[in-house]
Amino acid sequence: MSEEETHNAPIAPEAQPEEINASCRGPVLFLFFSAAVWAVQATGVGLLGSLKMHVPGFLADCPFLTYGRLQANAWVAFLYGFAGNAGLGLTLWMLSRLRGMPLAKPGFVLAGAFLWNSGVTAAMVGITMGDQPGVAGYELPAYASRVLLIGQAFIAFSAIITYFSRRHQQLYPSSWFLIAALVAFPWIVGTAHWLLVETPVRGAAQIPVAHWTVTSLQQIWLGCMGLAAILYFIPKITGRELYSRQWAAFGFWMLLILGGWVNLNSGSPLPVWSIKLSQYASALFIFVLIAIGWNLRQTAKGVPLLGSSDLTLQCMGFALGAWLITALFTFGNFYSDWNGLLQFTYAGTAMRQFFAWGFFAMAMFGAVYYVAPRLFSGEVDWACSGTYKWIFRLTAIGAVVILLAGLGMSYGHGHALQDGSAEVMKKALMPMRIAFLGEILFFLSSLIFLGSMACLLFRNCCGECSPMALIRKCRADKAEGGAE
Amino acid sequence: MNKSPWIFLGVLFAMSLSWWGMVFGPASQVNAAKADLGDGTSLRPRSGLAQQGEQIYRENGCYYCHTRTATGGTFGYEIQITQFGADEDLTRKIIGEKFAANKIFEKAFAFKAVAGANDAKKAASEALKAEGADVEAAEAALEQAAEALTDAKAAANAIKIEETLTALGVSGVTIEGDLAGELGLPIEMSDADKAEVANATFAVSMGIEQWDEIKDTVRALKDRAGAQFKLLPVADEWPDVVNGVARRQSVSRDFLFDAHAMPGVMRVGPCLSNVGARQTDLNALYAKIYNSQAGGQSSHMPPYKYLFNVRAAEEDEKLPADAVTIFSAEDGMISVEAGFVVTPTTKARALAAYLQSLRNDKGLPEAPLPAVRENSNSEEGE
Repeated sequence: MSEEETHNAPIAPEAQPEEINASCRGPVLFLFFSAAVWAVQATGVGLLGSLKMHVPGFLADCPFLTYGRLQANAWVAFLYGFAGNAGLGLTLWMLSRLRGMPLAKPGFVLAGAFLWNSGVTAAMVGITMGDQPGVAGYELPAYASRVLLIGQAFIAFSAIITYFSRRHQQLYPSSWFLIAALVAFPWIVGTAHWLLVETPVRGAAQIPVAHWTVTSLQQIWLGCMGLAAILYFIPKITGRELYSRQWAAFGFWMLLILGGWVNLNSGSPLPVWSIKLSQYASALFIFVLIAIGWNLRQTAKGVPLLGSSDLTLQCMGFALGAWLITALFTFGNFYSDWNGLLQFTYAGTAMRQFFAWGFFAMAMFGAVYYVAPRLFSGEVDWACSGTYKWIFRLTAIGAVVILLAGLGMSYGHGHALQDGSAEVMKKALMPMRIAFLGEILFFLSSLIFLGSMACLLFRNCCGECSPMALIRKCRADKAEGGAE
Repeated sequence: MNKSPWIFLGVLFAMSLSWWGMVFGPASQVNAAKADLGDGTSLRPRSGLAQQGEQIYRENGCYYCHTRTATGGTFGYEIQITQFGADEDLTRKIIGEKFAANKIFEKAFAFKAVAGANDAKKAASEALKAEGADVEAAEAALEQAAEALTDAKAAANAIKIEETLTALGVSGVTIEGDLAGELGLPIEMSDADKAEVANATFAVSMGIEQWDEIKDTVRALKDRAGAQFKLLPVADEWPDVVNGVARRQSVSRDFLFDAHAMPGVMRVGPCLSNVGARQTDLNALYAKIYNSQAGGQSSHMPPYKYLFNVRAAEEDEKLPADAVTIFSAEDGMISVEAGFVVTPTTKARALAAYLQSLRNDKGLPEAPLPAVRENSNSEEGE
């Protein structure tokens, strides 16, 4: 077949949404439920670690529960456990819907999801046993990253087959972001695995590799998946067209180009030119912020996202705001005085938490709220939709608390470090202690999320034999008996 | 943006930019760094216990609360003249009246004049003894030289300053014993005097000037006045150095031989880039790791007691030599845990050895040790 004939070939008919949802049901729900479990694990372990900031002697006799190990475990559970599962599940569903084709090779997804979760589990065990590579933000032991890469390859295979299964006249921007996330992950983790763990380069050379890995995982991998969800759901729920594909494309390419450069500490022991390049990249990041922010603002003009009655829209609105704030913080790193002041304070960790929960997790909570009930063929919804609102509320309040504590009080810590103040430790701990409140809220929201997911599954699986149906039947029988 | 393959290729290309810029470029540069320091010494990898200690530091995640990264800061240049040239007026003009008004400057050139006149007198004396010399002219020259020497001595003796030795060192002249005695200088110098003379310097800038402000002075001193000098960086707005956290900025080569580079995340605890130089007392380091609050110290570092062997002390038992102790004003050195004998395990020894290997009190060509002004705050909590 010639190129012209290929180009002019008729577009395959679009599959019905019900058919697509049915094809995604098993794999995507498995990934979503896994995400919920890992979210509880991440917040629970993180909470335990943060408690040590209040009570240093708490569980201090147990070598497996040092602050460093718990923090590493919490981030791995969030990044690969929650974010990986939720992001990949949403990627599969969105690609299927955007391409109008059922999910291809769902068996591969299930196998991949199993491997993926095995990898995360192996990482958690490894870190607990003291087998972390010493890179904050990339704490995967060698064996765990191997399993994760294979698992992601299985899932990506299904996604790519789905992606190429039908030709479209026009690709929706969310597709670009999702494909970028699928391509970026093996590259980033492969680089880190190869250069930091498997055959580590010399110590001095590990620092730039580690920075690129950590920044890319956050800005590109998580950023692409979260923004894909926002770009998909805001126009969909508001019933409007995306304001500009050109703005979206500009933001997309700039994010990919700049995402790995930004946020390098001005005091990093690296060649000055790389620090300067990172500062310039941070400055240019303002264009990503404007492109994405302006595009979505124009799309949802006049619609109060946070004040909407639609929970998904609320979540997407908050996630968008959180992303814009973190992008603004990234831009702020262009100023070396600002960067130098905050570089060793809690601010960096707080912004990472804010990005992770305020932006990414919020986008995923909103997306799961929309997607999960649709994966069932019947007319079903969340068991207690009111409780799901609390996931939004608690996560939002927690994220704001961490943001305010992280930025506001770290400023004082930064000044104390520069002045050599005797109160430096007190000022270092204060934002972390306040952020502890935010982490409690994250933990509660994760518990509700897990409970909601469990209820949804119990309610809609096995027909009349589902646990929820049985409970309802028991209650009805009891009520009948009581009446008699 | 509607062709799938282009999206794939575009993503690969876009990511490759940051990969080359942030991974390949810096990693290649620092990976090629040499251990040689250029002064006959070189950086050495850790070995033995210190090498094992890096693993303990890593597996416990110490790098979450401690950094190993001393940051840079702003500094000024102090021009330190170690030897003046011959031309006093030219030197005075270059360094300016403010610094030339210093008595040392005056005395240094006075001594140079004495030494010069002495040499001229010797030369005239040799000329008089030479065969076929013009005796009359030679005697006149000798007389003139002797007068000049007398004048120079009188001028030198007229300048009363305490830093005589320093002035000698700066002037870079050698004055013979009898002449030195006439000038009120020690004829036989002690080793301490010699060292003081050898290291004598004369600052002709405030130490806050930037390169653009002093570059003309530096070039003039070197090319026109023939002076010898060195440029010393003086910490200005350089918190880590001024606060005593470190002696200099951390650079790539500080991590050259690390199996795992752990520059650190936050400074919840102190920066450890120079802890090896700050904390030389091994017992105190063990006590800090065992229980940082021992002895009533204020600290939020969790205790790492599982790195130590702990057993109940028997009655009137004398503490073994390797027991971890703290100082008590009432009882002297006592066990870090009352009623128990605490000794470090191999892991604790390794961690302490690793911590003591963390030093940046030696300058590197790319990170020289700056001077610190006396009024700076150089105390930091351990």
